[in-house]
Amino acid sequence: MSDIDLFKGIAPDEAERVLALGELVVVGAGAELFHLGDAAESIYLLVRGRLRLTLPMQVRSREENVLVEECSAGQTVGWSALTPPYRFTLTASAPLEAEAIALSREALNAYFAAHPATGYAVSFNVSCVIGHRLQLFQAMWLREVQRMVEMRCA
Amino acid sequence: MEMLLMGVCLSVLGMAVVCLAFGAATRDLGNPPVAAPGVEKEMVRAAASPARFFVDPPALPMAAHAGVPIEALLLQIENHVRLEHAAAECFLQSPSASLLHSRTISAFVN
Repeated sequence: MSDIDLFKGIAPDEAERVLALGELVVVGAGAELFHLGDAAESIYLLVRGRLRLTLPMQVRSREENVLVEECSAGQTVGWSALTPPYRFTLTASAPLEAEAIALSREALNAYFAAHPATGYAVSFNVSCVIGHRLQLFQAMWLREVQRMVEMRCA
Repeated sequence: MEMLLMGVCLSVLGMAVVCLAFGAATRDLGNPPVAAPGVEKEMVRAAASPARFFVDPPALPMAAHAGVPIEALLLQIENHVRLEHAAAECFLQSPSASLLHSRTISAFVN
């Protein structure tokens, strides 16, 4: 339970109660958990396997899903379900069979309204993960810009 | 007497050979052959073209990915993303300008 990034700082029994709100989803090898642009109603805690998060890119006039990030067990994907406009901004697919627990926004909001301390802790964890991802991609973006500057000045 | 006649015959024969050779050498002097314009331009171009010392000039670096199969190119992109992800993680662990702009070994950009 302590490996799940969403439940850091939360007592195990409380985390169990939150987990009980969700349902297990099995993603077959090569199948998609969610697709770019779909309505985001649930976030997913990955409990087994790996997920590839991809974005479409034109490669030689062909649209290809290019890897942006990989997630492993214990990580949470689908933050778009907690932030407006509630649309997935990536596609998640499983290279091999994977399992995830789907937690719907509606169920989480109702539970957090009744248990604000848990709601605060989970929201804090969500903000930490989103902040980390923002810093990570900011650094990656700047490295690419630096390369473009070097190419232009060469 | 026989020797004298033989000498005269050889002299006449030698003179005839010299005359034929002179005539052949000077036959077309007044009307020299004119090369076709295209051939002449080709000769000038060949003379003016840069020397090629056994090898063609090296290809441009950006053309290096042109011949790579698309599957290999996608793998290169994936590998590049993973390396950039790792480099960005290193930067976040210990932020500094040198770590932010550390060099990559990614084949996609090298």
